[in-house]
Amino acid sequence: MLAYSRTKSIGVQMQGPGRRVVSGILEDEMYGMECQIAVSWPELVIESVQARMKRFTTTRCPRAMEVFTLAEGWKLDHELDGRIKKEIGRNGCRHMAILMVDCCRSLARAEFTRELRSALEKDPTLDKSEFVTLFFERYPTLKSYLNLQ
Amino acid sequence: MILDFQANHLTTVENVDKGLFRIISRADDALFSAEISLDVKLPALDIRKAEIAVRRDVLGLVPDLSDAVEKLVGVRVGPGMTKIVRGILAGTQGSDRVAEMVLESMEMLVNALTAPELRKGMELGGEPAKLDIDGPRVFLNNVLIAEPTIKIMADNPRLKDSCAAFQDL
Repeated sequence: MLAYSRTKSIGVQMQGPGRRVVSGILEDEMYGMECQIAVSWPELVIESVQARMKRFTTTRCPRAMEVFTLAEGWKLDHELDGRIKKEIGRNGCRHMAILMVDCCRSLARAEFTRELRSALEKDPTLDKSEFVTLFFERYPTLKSYLNLQ
Repeated sequence: MILDFQANHLTTVENVDKGLFRIISRADDALFSAEISLDVKLPALDIRKAEIAVRRDVLGLVPDLSDAVEKLVGVRVGPGMTKIVRGILAGTQGSDRVAEMVLESMEMLVNALTAPELRKGMELGGEPAKLDIDGPRVFLNNVLIAEPTIKIMADNPRLKDSCAAFQDL
């Protein structure tokens, strides 16, 4: 018998050359979370956070909502996961923090994927490892953040 | 606006035998797809069997993990598991993504074991709720665990100060 299940679904949009938007949902037996995050590109700074705790467990959980927008102004870099887990998770909601971490990571992966797809269309014999090196030369901040392996 | 990237992740925890749980986790996006299966046994919560299948790795960066997978057997779900699992699976010779999937699978077992306790807390210490942030026509949080039970739960060191609900108690 199934005892528990969690699903996370995340989508990324390109809204013009300088704006990316990621939206995500997390659903499991105990929690339902959704968030939308707008990020400036290529600055990689979180511009806006809109987050809703759909389903939660205690009367105190809604207190967490006070901290979600603290992420506005934060940059997608190697410190971001830790900041989200500590400032959004521990002071707010750990389940929303998990979703926000995944959303921001997906946004960076989407950017990489978009450029890889475009490069492969131009050159189907593209050397992918060389592409990875060039991508991180163009976006050095992402080298310590974007997890490709 | 049409999406140009999607990532999906499903983790299930199944009670397959007395005290034996099977956790299956699958992650999919345009570049990467993998499925993990862990069998974990009570009461020690140790991994008895582990399988990892990388279905799609567009960049070809994930190495053969078969030796690392064997080392997962015996690892316990509990304190210290993050360091141990990352030590086995992450880094340049492994896969950070797979390591995170394994850790999330282990965390989901904790959630699976916690859910019945929360359900009890809801039944015994729950109170009717109609919050402004919920509804206004359909309420997903019609019953919530109330203050006295929250205080009892906060005595658990794993929960105390772990989030807004268990702070200042």
